[in-house]
Amino acid sequence: MMQQSGSVRPGLKPAPLNTAVAVEMIGVHKWYGDFHVLRDINLRVTKGERIVICGPSGSGKSTMIRCINRLEEHQQGRIVVDGVELTDDVKKVDEIRRDVGMVFQQFNLFPHLTVLENLTLAPVWVRKMPKHDADEIAMHYLNRVKIPEQAAKYPNQLSGGQQQRVAIARALCMNPKIMLFDEPTSSLDPEMVKEVLDTMVQLAHDGMTMLVVTHEMGFARQVANRIVFMDEGQIVEMNAPEPFFANPKHERTKLFLGQILR
Amino acid sequence: MSDTATLTDTELAYVQRSPIAPRRPPLAASGAIGWLRENLLSSVFNVVLTVVCALLIAWIVPPLLKFLVIDAVWDGASRADCLPTPERPEVGACWAFVIERLGFFTYGFYPIEERWRVDVFFALLALGVGWMAWLSAPRRDLGVIYFFIIMPVVSFVLLIGVPALGLPHVSTAQWGGVLVTIVVATVGIVVSLPLGILLALGRRSEMPVVRLFSVIFIEFVRGVPLITVLFMASVMLPLFVPDNWSPDKLVRALVGVALFASAYMAEVVRAGLQAIPKGQYEAAMAVGLGYWQTMRLIILPQALKVTIPNIVNTCIGLFKDTTLVFVVGIFDFLKTIEAARGDPQWATPVTSTTGYAFAAMFYFVFCYAMSRYARFVEAHVAAGERR
Repeated sequence: MMQQSGSVRPGLKPAPLNTAVAVEMIGVHKWYGDFHVLRDINLRVTKGERIVICGPSGSGKSTMIRCINRLEEHQQGRIVVDGVELTDDVKKVDEIRRDVGMVFQQFNLFPHLTVLENLTLAPVWVRKMPKHDADEIAMHYLNRVKIPEQAAKYPNQLSGGQQQRVAIARALCMNPKIMLFDEPTSSLDPEMVKEVLDTMVQLAHDGMTMLVVTHEMGFARQVANRIVFMDEGQIVEMNAPEPFFANPKHERTKLFLGQILR
Repeated sequence: MSDTATLTDTELAYVQRSPIAPRRPPLAASGAIGWLRENLLSSVFNVVLTVVCALLIAWIVPPLLKFLVIDAVWDGASRADCLPTPERPEVGACWAFVIERLGFFTYGFYPIEERWRVDVFFALLALGVGWMAWLSAPRRDLGVIYFFIIMPVVSFVLLIGVPALGLPHVSTAQWGGVLVTIVVATVGIVVSLPLGILLALGRRSEMPVVRLFSVIFIEFVRGVPLITVLFMASVMLPLFVPDNWSPDKLVRALVGVALFASAYMAEVVRAGLQAIPKGQYEAAMAVGLGYWQTMRLIILPQALKVTIPNIVNTCIGLFKDTTLVFVVGIFDFLKTIEAARGDPQWATPVTSTTGYAFAAMFYFVFCYAMSRYARFVEAHVAAGERR
């Protein structure tokens, strides 16, 4: 895999070579009824790698990453997450979900709980952590996403950008090995996109394994090790950012980039 | 374009230089006159409605007040005090009758020297209801345990009696009046809420057997009148269980009412569950919560909050439906009034009317209180979450 030079992206480590595999998808197919949403997806993500997935709407990008924590079931092929294969075994699914954080387009914070309670819920109930320790970790991550002063508020009292940062902090509180982002900035007002992207860039600098579905091509250029372009349920093209943007190979990719980059 | 061309540069560009101070609204839109215009006289149709309503009030309220208050008899010892006499040709409500029979209306045939047990039960219940109803009460988790476990057990022991504890046994055949009405309504509500939640979850379950059972139960019970359920509970249930184990008549009615209410509660709760966005389930799953944790911590707290008005509505319906237990021979509050109004000792032309007026006020007070509480909770939830 080609790497960007350090001068273009200061401080970001290159994708690690020959390290353990975080996510492996082999020949994955999925249908909604008769509709073939995912067609022969093959993708290997190594630990610490940052993948940006883009493509027109309805191309199956969200479905693909939602298969990784089994919010969607695949019907053919194999998905191995951190050495555990996803099957109907509920225990294994729960095990994987504990270690895979997810951030949604619509934030999906729990509106009846305060920000702090949103963050401590899973550590306390899933990881069986004492309340006091969970509070400490929650405040640590709220500091990292730069909104510790909102801890006692309810989600609906925050701006969209703040809510999405809380959602990121909520996922981080489970100390995940992999983070999935499903169009994290698509439902934000333009002036709030940056604060969320900054948080994600910071996460990339910390070496988190990330799979990000987004149309933020600036973000892709800045942090991705690889960009995956999907169309009609297939991976059409996959490359490092520089050659992907400078020299797209496939007609569909050229067309898409032409539309999205003007 | 020509317009723009004639404007000077200063007209074309506009900058606000000082803030505009807020002003009071015009008088016609505020104050008493504004209120009248807005609410009572805003159109020809509304003017007509206002006049008709005023006439209705003038027609109904004065005679009602005259009967219930002005001409009413407040004290007396027998029917003679409530009969019309030459000095007093018009007799209003015979409250003396209600006051004299208040004990019977409240306790039925519960032995007089044991009535304190019923009073303690009322107090325990009031404490439980208060604890549950006061949204910011301390330790509401303990309140739940008290309301759903401790209180029912203690009340049962108290009311039925355990001779070993020095509480003589009181057969449920002796229970009556407000006591029975409250017991039936409370058991109905206390059982139907958890059972209704389970049935609602069952109906939305992905397990076909559980879903099928829930659907059949809910649809069957909802498709049958409460009277039928009560008759079945009191006539058919003894056919299925051995004679010596045949349950008490009141218990059978309680089971019937509770199952009936559960089916309705299940549909109310299901409506609430359906109002919760899919994203909430997904977020809960994504952080690793299991099914029961997701339901208990994420889905039900939100679903129940939005359905509180409907839950209370079901409770109001249930409270009034308890009057139907008289068909299987149970002496509820309304039945005690029925019995007392036929008593020759108090037979007067106004006794029945008075008794029914008292019953109406009793049911109204409870139902209106529940209704007001539902409104209060709605407002509370709306303010808390700014939905």
